[in-house]
Parts: sequence; C-alpha cells; structure tokens
Amino acid sequence: MSQSDAVNSGTATGHAAEVKSNKVTGGALREAVVNSISGIDNGPRVLKLYMEMCVRCGTCAEQCPVYKGDPTELRNPAVRTDLIRSVFKKHKTLLGKLAGPIVGASDFDGDMETFVNAFYECTGCRRCATFCPMSIDNSVVTRKGRAIADTLGYTPEQLQKVVAISLETGNTDGASETAFKDVVAFLEEEIKDDCGIDVRIPFDKAGAEIFLVPPSGDLLVNPEATMGMAKMFHKLGVSWTLSSKAFDGANYGLFTGDDKSMKEDNKLYVDEAKRLKCKTLMMGECGHAHRIMKFIMEKAGWWGQLPFEIGNILQYTAGKIEDGAIKLDKSANPDPVTYHDPCNFGRSCGIVEEPRTIMTACCADFREMTPNRHLNWCCGGGGGLSAMDSIYEFRMNVSGKMKLKQIDDTGAKFCAAPCSNCKRQLLQLMQHHKRDVTIGGVHDMLMKAIVM
Amino acid sequence: MISRLYVWTKTPQPGALTLFPAPSGGVSSFFNVIKEAFLFPGLFRGDKLLWVFAWIFHATLALIVIGHVRVFTDFPALWNALGINADQMSAISGGTAGVIITIFALLLIFRRMTVLRVREVSNLSDFLALLLIVAILSTGNLMRFGEHFNLEITRAYFSQLLTFSLTASAVPQASMLMVHFLLAQILIMVIPFSKVMHFGGIFFTKAIIQKS
Repeated sequence: MSQSDAVNSGTATGHAAEVKSNKVTGGALREAVVNSISGIDNGPRVLKLYMEMCVRCGTCAEQCPVYKGDPTELRNPAVRTDLIRSVFKKHKTLLGKLAGPIVGASDFDGDMETFVNAFYECTGCRRCATFCPMSIDNSVVTRKGRAIADTLGYTPEQLQKVVAISLETGNTDGASETAFKDVVAFLEEEIKDDCGIDVRIPFDKAGAEIFLVPPSGDLLVNPEATMGMAKMFHKLGVSWTLSSKAFDGANYGLFTGDDKSMKEDNKLYVDEAKRLKCKTLMMGECGHAHRIMKFIMEKAGWWGQLPFEIGNILQYTAGKIEDGAIKLDKSANPDPVTYHDPCNFGRSCGIVEEPRTIMTACCADFREMTPNRHLNWCCGGGGGLSAMDSIYEFRMNVSGKMKLKQIDDTGAKFCAAPCSNCKRQLLQLMQHHKRDVTIGGVHDMLMKAIVM
Repeated sequence: MISRLYVWTKTPQPGALTLFPAPSGGVSSFFNVIKEAFLFPGLFRGDKLLWVFAWIFHATLALIVIGHVRVFTDFPALWNALGINADQMSAISGGTAGVIITIFALLLIFRRMTVLRVREVSNLSDFLALLLIVAILSTGNLMRFGEHFNLEITRAYFSQLLTFSLTASAVPQASMLMVHFLLAQILIMVIPFSKVMHFGGIFFTKAIIQKS
C-alpha cells in the first residue's frame, strides 16, 4: 500500500452508514443550549471552575497551534471558550445577571454554525493547559461544546459517519472480517518475502498472553508498524493475538463528546479481551485509544474489575530493548529521522521516553523536534479533525503551520508518529507543501532494524 | 467567599484529567501545586514577559498585604528577629513595594490595551478591576508620600470599627485614608463574585490537573 493510498482512503469513505441529521432549531435549540450550559453549575467541578476562573491573560493564545497559525479572534482559545462561558455567566453568576456586558456575559444568540465551527477548530491538544497559569484545560470546554452540538444533531456529518460505522462494524474504516483476514494473509506474505522467515500473525487465539489492539489504519493503511510488532513477537516467542472483530482501538465518541457511544464502542474491546482470556490488553500505536482504555475506562471503572492488564506496545517494546531481548541493526535506517509526540501519548498519557528508546535503538540519525515531549506542537489534526476533509485547507494552512516548520527545522527524511490521526494529517501536510518527508510509525523503524 | 470555596469542594468531579508530566501523587503533588501557585512556572515557560509583570505584581501585593496587618497589631519580636525595625519594614512593604506594584499594575493595563490576543479576551470588567486596584494603590502611595499618616490614630479607628464601638472623635481627619479605605472596601465586596477569586480557585484547578 502506498502513501498516496493512505491519503485517499480517508476514514469512513464508501460505506453507507445511517447518519442522524435531525437538527434541533429555533427556540428549542436556544433553550437546549442554555439549559446544557447552565447545567455546568452542578458539575463537573473542572468545567465550573473554568467558567469562573479565567483571568484573561492571553497565554493560551500564545501557545495554541491554531491561533499561532492564524491569529483571528474566534481562534483565540479564551474567546472560543467564551462562547460557553458568556452564557454560563449570564445565567449562573451574580455579576453576569446584574452587569451582563461589563463582565462579558451574554445570552446564546442561536448562531449554531459559529458555535460548531469554532469547537471543531480546536484540536483538543491541551497545550493551553500546560501553560495556563490557572491550568485551564480548554479541551474540556471544547468537548462540552461538541457534546452540546452532538445531542442537537450538529456534529459534522463526516464524524457522525465514523461513529456510526465504528458502532456497526467495530472499526472506523468499516472493514469486514473477510477484509481483515485478507490483510493478515497479505502481511504474512510480505514479511516472508522481506526476510524469508514464516512469521505468523495470529488472530482470535484464545488464551494468548497478549491481545494486540492497533488502530485499524496500522493494518489497512500503514501496516509496517504491525509487521514490525509481528516480527518482534515471533523473535521473542511470545504468544499473542489480534481479533478479527476488534482490531481498531480508535473511538470517535471521545471527539464528538458523545459519552454513550464512546462507552458502547469500548465495550466490544473489553468483552473481546475477556473472551480471549488474555493477560494483557496491549494497545497499539494510537494515543487516544490508549488514553480511553487506561485513563478513562479503567480509572472510572466502567466495567468493574478487569481480569487483564492494560499495556501499551511502546512501553512493551522499549522494555524489551532495555532488557537486551531483541537485537537491532541501526544501519538499516541510515536516514535522518524525527519523532512527533502525539498529544494523547505525551500530554495525556505520559508516554514520551519509550518511543525515543525504540527510535534511538533502531535509527542511526535520530533528531529531536523543538519543542518536544509534553511541550510538543499538535500535528494540527487532533480531536478528530484529521478525519474531516471539509476543513482540509484549515488543517494544511492554519492548524498544521507550526508543525510544518518544526519538521522542516529537523531536516529529517522520516517522521514517526504513533497515531493514525497524526499520520494522516502529517502525510497530507507533507504532500500539500511538497516536502520530501515520509510519515510512518515507530515500529516501522523496528521492522527494518530487527535482526531475525 | 467561603461559600464559593465550599461550593467548589462540593461540586462533583468524576474521573481524572491528568496532564503529564504529573507527579506520582500525595506529597509531591501537594508541593507541586504550592510551587505553581507561588512561582507560576507554567506561565514562565509560556510567556516570560507576562511572568515578570505578574510575578512582581503578586509578590509585592503579598508584601503589602502583610504590611497592612500592622494597622491592627504589631510584631516587634518578628522585626527584631529579622534585624530590622518597624520603620524599615514599613519602608519596604509600604514605600518601595507600593511604588513598584503601581508601576506593574499600569504595565498590566498597558499590555491589556496593546497586545492583540489579550485585548481580544478582555472585558470592560478586566480593565475596571485593574483601574480600581491602581486607584487603591495610588491613594495608598499618596498617604505615604503626601499627607501625614498617623499609625496610632488609624489603629485606634480600626480597633473601634472592629468592635462596633466607633466614636466620632476617633475618625481620622485624613481624607486620603478615607478614600483609600472606601475603594478597598469596594474591591473586597467585588472579590467573591469576580475572577479575583482566582487566588482560591487556582488550588482546585492545579490539583485536578495533577491528579493521577
């Protein structure tokens, strides 16, 4: 599969899924928006604090990839958040009720288009929260805004489709079980052609130690990372498995603000892990999938006590490298390479050193971007934006601007990003701006460097 | 004010919002929150110039607040321990800090007017709050450098105020003090309903984002 296929085979194309398009309008719309925003008064606590605590210092704007890409007023994070905050102030604070315009309180004006567009221009990267002196995380407000839009039927059509397809088929690409099996057979052949060894890619194998859940893109679009993992498991002699029903950790309920579908989408994976009786549910190169499993589902105890551990392949592989369990040949990757910290792995999951352990062990010329780790700039496609073709121009020329410069400055020929959304955005960014940089995953490097 | 803090503690917060790098919890989390609240390291990384303005503004404000305690009582033992006398303390926390903070408050207003991304997010109330603070600071400075300030009379006045036993003769004949006091009362009344409450809320938001 070539890189241009990856650009063309966007998420959720060519699949006829049911899309709800009953938009609430008029007075009912205004009432619903105001009620939902007023409800923040009863929690969650963070949202209530964010409504009341902003000191309006402008630091978030200075650190926002979107505002840096194009400093216009509605792209200023605090102004965007004010779309909700001003309504909250009007209805739930004393000064807002008494002195409306002076303190920036105003009622919802019914302009849902501006509201929805604004919250789908925030990539939810949480960079603002890292720098805000009050630690206000605007991504939480963005998700609230999207949740309001979602219940009223205003989620952008393309994302509605992704959610519907994922719930219907178990993966965001709408791939069937047959397609999955074909891909697995194809990848086994590829590995055989490549290194002359029979490496199995097992699936639906009950009792395996590790149940690997990649993003479906790592099977269908950029399979090199999955091939790398298969070779490593083979070399280690570890029993592992994929699932023909659950092979996509991606979960767009996080992005549309729809908790119900996020939970529903997640259930299949937890049930499958139980059915396969695995010791470890191993999340692949997908930041938001790992975040949902490890930091949202497990923490909140959605499904009670789990009979398995939740791990991540980046941590697993880095551990094996540190133990000296696998042999790697750096000369297989001589070109300059760099690493993009996906926001969900870096700022939201704290996985920053492990991918570097892998990259430096596999590549002869590893270069850091500046800034990096938890201060890294978003790719410009976070929060589900990467899947939206309707805002292609915006992603290429506004939200991706800082990232383009960062990658240019490294002089790298390959940029690894363990996240299907980042990969799609970065790939388009490089092609749109005619840069000669290949985009792939971390285990792509391992696939080439591992000594069999 | 207490009720607002209480409501914050009672509002439910399902789940964690951990933002990495996060301390492993407990004691280190606590010290991290304290560090954030007193030294603003996040802001230091994010906007160095604003950090200079904001930190000096808040640090001198803290000195001034401490200095004002002398209106009610004195701590000769503390001054002796520090090797300074009450007049020197007064010169630092009142005189020097008073002038510095006024300059930085004006710089903050100037920044709010001139930097586009800050002007975009500013409401009238943001300017009014700063102007009120500048007015309080200016009258305070004028008390020090203009009309004669008599600590004994002022202390007697506040002591009578606090015990609800004010007699007409105890009201100081100092117009600047009365304006200063009036403006300060307005500020204190507004605090619980405004963003000035950020000095309380910061401990909540910082704690939530560090919880792992």
